[in-house]
Amino acid sequence: MAGRQLERRAPEDQGPDGQCFGDNAAHETAQSAPCPRLRTTAQFRRASSLALRRPEVTRCPAGRAEVAMAELYVKPGNKERGWNDPPQFSYGLQTQAVASKRTPLTKRVAAAQDGSPRVPTTETTSGPPPTGPPPASNKSPRLPPVGSCPGSSVEPLSLPVTEPETLLENVLRPLEQAVEDCRGHVRKQVCDDISRRLALLQEQWAGGKLSVPVKKRMALLVRELSSHQWDAADDIHRSLMVDHVTEVSQWMVGVKRLIAEKKTLSSEEETTEEKSEATPEETQTPPGVPGAP
Amino acid sequence: MATYLEFIQQNEEQDGVRFSWNVWPSSRLEATRMVVPLACLLTPLKERPDLPPVQYEPVLCSRPTCKAILNPLWVTIEVSGVAIADGSFIGVCPTLFPPAYTGISEVNQPAELMPHFSTIEYMVQRGAQSPLIFLYVVDTCLEEDDLQALKESLQMSLSLLPPDALVGLITFGRMVQVHELSCEGISKSYVFRGTKDLTAKQIQDMLGLSKPAMLMQQARPTQPQEHPFVSSRFLQPVHKIDMNLTDLLGELQRDPWPVTQGKRPLRSTGVALSIAVGLLEGTFPNTGARIMLFTGGPPTQGPGMVVGDELKTPIRSWHDIEKDNARFMKKATKHYEMLANRTAANGHCIDIYACALDQTGLLEMKCCTNLTGGHMVMGDSFNTSLFKQTFQRIFSKDFNGNFRMAFGATLEVKTSRELKIAGAIGPCVSLNVKGPCVSENELGVGGTSQWKICALDPTSTLGIYFEVANQHNAPIPQGGRGAIQFVTQYQHSSTQKRIRVTTIARNWADAQSQLRHIEAAFDQEAAAVLMARLGVFRAESEEGPDVLRWLDRQLIRLCQKFGQYNKEDPTSFRLSDAFSLYPQFMFHLRRSPFLQVFNNSPDESSYYRHHFGRQDLTQSLIMIQPILYSYSFHGPPEPVLLDSSSILADRILLMDTFFQIVIYLGETIAQWRKAGYQDMPEYENFKHLLQAPLDDAQEILQARFPMPRYVNTEHGGSQSRFLLSKVNPSQTHNNLYAWGQETGAPILTDDVSLQVFMDHLKKLAVSSAS
Repeated sequence: MAGRQLERRAPEDQGPDGQCFGDNAAHETAQSAPCPRLRTTAQFRRASSLALRRPEVTRCPAGRAEVAMAELYVKPGNKERGWNDPPQFSYGLQTQAVASKRTPLTKRVAAAQDGSPRVPTTETTSGPPPTGPPPASNKSPRLPPVGSCPGSSVEPLSLPVTEPETLLENVLRPLEQAVEDCRGHVRKQVCDDISRRLALLQEQWAGGKLSVPVKKRMALLVRELSSHQWDAADDIHRSLMVDHVTEVSQWMVGVKRLIAEKKTLSSEEETTEEKSEATPEETQTPPGVPGAP
Repeated sequence: MATYLEFIQQNEEQDGVRFSWNVWPSSRLEATRMVVPLACLLTPLKERPDLPPVQYEPVLCSRPTCKAILNPLWVTIEVSGVAIADGSFIGVCPTLFPPAYTGISEVNQPAELMPHFSTIEYMVQRGAQSPLIFLYVVDTCLEEDDLQALKESLQMSLSLLPPDALVGLITFGRMVQVHELSCEGISKSYVFRGTKDLTAKQIQDMLGLSKPAMLMQQARPTQPQEHPFVSSRFLQPVHKIDMNLTDLLGELQRDPWPVTQGKRPLRSTGVALSIAVGLLEGTFPNTGARIMLFTGGPPTQGPGMVVGDELKTPIRSWHDIEKDNARFMKKATKHYEMLANRTAANGHCIDIYACALDQTGLLEMKCCTNLTGGHMVMGDSFNTSLFKQTFQRIFSKDFNGNFRMAFGATLEVKTSRELKIAGAIGPCVSLNVKGPCVSENELGVGGTSQWKICALDPTSTLGIYFEVANQHNAPIPQGGRGAIQFVTQYQHSSTQKRIRVTTIARNWADAQSQLRHIEAAFDQEAAAVLMARLGVFRAESEEGPDVLRWLDRQLIRLCQKFGQYNKEDPTSFRLSDAFSLYPQFMFHLRRSPFLQVFNNSPDESSYYRHHFGRQDLTQSLIMIQPILYSYSFHGPPEPVLLDSSSILADRILLMDTFFQIVIYLGETIAQWRKAGYQDMPEYENFKHLLQAPLDDAQEILQARFPMPRYVNTEHGGSQSRFLLSKVNPSQTHNNLYAWGQETGAPILTDDVSLQVFMDHLKKLAVSSAS
């Protein structure tokens, strides 16, 4: 099963984007039903009030260690600005899409040689279309056989009490410390620039302008940074830029730079410490060529 | 049959090649009688996770006129551990055994001689490595909301770019501003008037680029300029200026010039692009570079203007063009063609991201993307997920963590003596390399054996057309096989130079005695796409009806040649399995937006054709004949006929047209959903049924580039028109009662159905008059 989060739409959730057009309204009144509400992605993942009433079913690939590393969610496209705008996939989903490919839906059926539609099988045309209810499930309802993974909108619901609030201090102090580490090695102007952006981060955080997922992922980023996992930290920065650019664009570039400067600094330190150790070059020799010309 | 299908599939996976014919008619005359030309779809950089590049130079055939690269075909001629060689690497000329390979034996072979290395990639150390370059050209005549979204996307992109890539910024509205990027926090820019066309020389003089650059070249004539000092003011490494550029982008304002009521904003797209091209031309010729144009409306002044600024004059439509009433079209097209050709000559590419509700001039500007291999993206607004995600996907990475983009490629095609090259259709320009293997008859961009592809990705696909040169009555060429070698030299996204070599061979057959062999090896999918590319290529210069007539004529001739029938008896007509799908591909192609302009603006047609001209076989075929899957309680999802008879009340349909993903709920399903069965625990299976197509649609959406539009509709919904306009109208308001049953959905159309089309086709095919 591919890794993704399923979106559930509750019936109450038929908002203004359910479209109603004159041409089909007439058709619908014949069935004494309200005009059709189109099932649109805008109806996906609505306000959190909905989530409180009806827990969203989420799925994630079993045993993915990186689950904590990236948010996995799909949010609706911008229906107001774009006609039939597709849903938006989070950075985590986009990057893992490469790995999880099911059989692509690319099969097609050949028409008969005279071009007429094939005689449908008896199963498909057994009299008029069913008018009763859909066939009932045989089994009693059960939970989907998969676990849940942390998506942004599930978080407030599933972990409201146990998870402690991420503290600004815990995020900001290590970052400021990192800037101090860089001073003396990096141009003053760059350090000042980074500091300026950290101040902006502080201001926005303190002013309550940052969302819970951003705060949480910043805490993760700082943890990776502190343990010298530069690439992991950089990846979290990238996921934040992609998923929450509006919130973070102004100051994140400072964090990005900080990660880069720390990385170069540490590699410089390493090379001075262990000059003799050469980094093994990744070489690929074609099979069967011991001494390629 | 299964064996040929497997063979075709295996070849596509291994070599990225699909041929229309997999057994070749051995004479020129017979080949022309096959109707569908001998041609192939080539995906030069098809992703091959199992193919690590080898780190040495390829071995060339020593004959100067040949220079084919050593490959597995050669082994079949002679290898015995002794340095004797007969025949060439692709059978063109005799050659000497390469001295480096004297020690080889059966057990100790270099990779390129092994049969499964018919495609091999060399990593060569040649020339200086230069960073990738991204030059943003940003329209500021946008609505506040749009500009904000665009600014954020651009800021975001700085995090996705490789840290050592060079970036630059040009903004335009009424004026064009070239921004100097520095770390000092003082923003400076050069302002150009948007009405005056400037030559490359003038632009370089005004930006202060020309002199030092020339000095540099004189000082180091052999070395490519690595980091010319002059460019550093406008193009800087991301890791150095990311903070300042973020601020600069954040501070961008809408074009300050007032726009009075009833006017369009003055937009100097033509000059802005011209400056971008000139800037890169002067600083980084022949280095991988992307000019990325973000625009929210048509060019309205200066060279390249497409429409005047009076809102009361609408932008040209197909109707205006037919009536020769499009005032600016020819001149604008010429301007952009000139820019596109210069860009291609420099080895750079131009992307166009056009987001507006009205047309933006893609028709005039299309050559910028089509000749340089750049992307064309069309959306309603920059503040949509369609744009944002499409833009993010430009920077997507492969399984090795490398960007899925390559630059500055040259594709060279070498053939064995019995074949000639007729041309290519795809995102390329001719390099005008003549030679004995170049045919005088052109199909697509011909008259050459080499093409330049300035930018490409792992899915970029070219159609390459050949001609059999062997004379009639001449015996089947010696060896019984013909060979073709494709050599693609390119700059990998890691900035290395690489050479991908694919060598293939196919059997010759005598078309008179062995027609069945040739027939059985026909690849109707590849043939349909290759013929469609020819049709679309013609449609760019010919009238629509002429192209349709040409396609029809080809189809009739093909049916005459390969159908089984009694003269003048349409009911006796049959096509073998290898050809059975071909007529329906042509039927849907005739109705497709690639050949029909009705209901599409000139920009939309250009956009659709742009993507059709570069996608691989699978995607191209989806564009020609969309995929339709049906979901029901009767079993697992299954592909169904793209036919109105497939629209049933108790089904959910998922249609993929490449540009749109449509989910359609049948009448009963829609009623059930309205009644809320999906929320009752005892009808959980209904909930699952509703979910299944959504999951599958997501799967498609996650992989597709560019992001398609996503339509959720149901029986009677106004947007069901997307489905109804694509299915074969086998039931219409005219013949509904003849069918008698209430199955399927009648389509209100006078379009010809596949049945009628086939009836006519059979009649014409069996007629002795035609």
